[in-house]
Amino acid sequence: MPAKTKKPKPAAAKSPAENQQRRLWLMYPPRLITTPVIWQLSQKFPLVTNLRQVSVTDEIGIVCLELDGRRADIKAAIKWLEKIGVRVEPVEITVMET
Amino acid sequence: MKALKCRECGREYPLEATHVCEFDFGPLEVAYDYARIKKSLTREAIASRPRSMWRYRELLPVAKEPTVGLQVGFTPLVKADRLAAQLGIRELWIKNDAVNYPTLSFKDRVVSVALSRAKELGFTTVACASTGNLANSVAAQAAAAGLKAYVFIPSDLEQGKIINSLVYGANVIGIKGHYDEVNRLCAEIAGKFGWAFVNVNMRPYYAEGSKSMAYEIIEQLGWRIPQHTIVPMASGSLLTKIQKGYQEFVKLGLVTESKYSIHGAQATGCSPISVAQKAGLDFFKPVKPDTVAKSLAIGTPADGFYALKAMKETNAHADDITDDEIRDAIKLLAETEGIFAETAGGVTVGVAKKLIAAGKIPHDSSAVICVTGNGLKTLDAVTGHVGQPREIKPSLREFEALLSAETVAA
Repeated sequence: MPAKTKKPKPAAAKSPAENQQRRLWLMYPPRLITTPVIWQLSQKFPLVTNLRQVSVTDEIGIVCLELDGRRADIKAAIKWLEKIGVRVEPVEITVMET
Repeated sequence: MKALKCRECGREYPLEATHVCEFDFGPLEVAYDYARIKKSLTREAIASRPRSMWRYRELLPVAKEPTVGLQVGFTPLVKADRLAAQLGIRELWIKNDAVNYPTLSFKDRVVSVALSRAKELGFTTVACASTGNLANSVAAQAAAAGLKAYVFIPSDLEQGKIINSLVYGANVIGIKGHYDEVNRLCAEIAGKFGWAFVNVNMRPYYAEGSKSMAYEIIEQLGWRIPQHTIVPMASGSLLTKIQKGYQEFVKLGLVTESKYSIHGAQATGCSPISVAQKAGLDFFKPVKPDTVAKSLAIGTPADGFYALKAMKETNAHADDITDDEIRDAIKLLAETEGIFAETAGGVTVGVAKKLIAAGKIPHDSSAVICVTGNGLKTLDAVTGHVGQPREIKPSLREFEALLSAETVAA
């Protein structure tokens, strides 16, 4: 059953200066592989989602996703993804090296 | 250099400061015109050049003569007979980047390339996000090159590691927060400020510096590829670049093609690639690092997939060892060969021991173990595990008594 969704509510009028694109790798644990996570995200947050690569096996789901929208909404979306158990990495994966 | 090329789809891009494919976000890698390189890069030409990693400059991603880190590389390849006897292998060598110049780690290779290329592209500010060796090398080499440096670190990093960057006058910024937040912020900063971020927008060039370790191993072995090479894995990049280096020398006719395996070593407390390899998987699962080997503590290795592929292609194995085994291996290397390696060196020696004992590296073969950093940088890891000095009064009689007591005990 799909999760509850709410209408997108941007906090303020969109300004082009506030908009940004973020390129992310999402890694799903097996329990979330059958959940329509990207659809839920697009219902919860006023963001444009653009899938670039997807790999799903029984053990892990890996999605390469571009998010376009307000910085605050992108941050909130990332927080939500982490809360439901999706690991979120920048497209570079590891920026903080040893 | 010919172009930057996507490792996933093969699309080509201009040789600029960019690192991911705009179509599938695959990582970009430098592609070369090997036919052209073959005409000038001969064994004789290499031998006539200074003893540094830049003696292979046609295969390193700079358009003109290098300008940063001219003394980096050509570290000793030490024949390790005493360690070989302990591990039970016919022939063993240590590629010793613990004495690399200027900051005693293999990272000097990649940073030297990244900064040389950054200068060519007109950058005056360089940056990195690091918890250790990378930060030190960027700070030192940027200082020597007259470049402004920003080094981002987690705010809770140990004081010793911070000083190793601060001393060079770099702008060291401690970021509060958990690892993932810090990591994502650094990616944002890298995208926003137009600096040469060595392991982000300069990554295609930076990573190529690792190949020089492979070239040196081949040349120092008398122009042959070792049957077995054991490499530490953090992001997995070094292992893939050792393979690329061996392949390039074969392609250029500088060495005869032979069978070789490039094995990967990790600490059990952070072993996503090793676990995947042992399970026969071609993907890894991210982990939360918990190991004394901080320089290998990357829970989501960016090149993990490619490292697994390289090991598969070379019929190699991966393994991992515990923190106690790492300390034992550091001691074993020090006591047999006089080389004090940082924890990552303990990991490679310990995993080599394990692979030889299991017959995965045959006893009658030859192997090279890559040591990538100096033990003086990770003293905390072995403190309390290497014994204590015995104290005596300033008396010859006391010293003789101590010696005779030890002789009796022995």
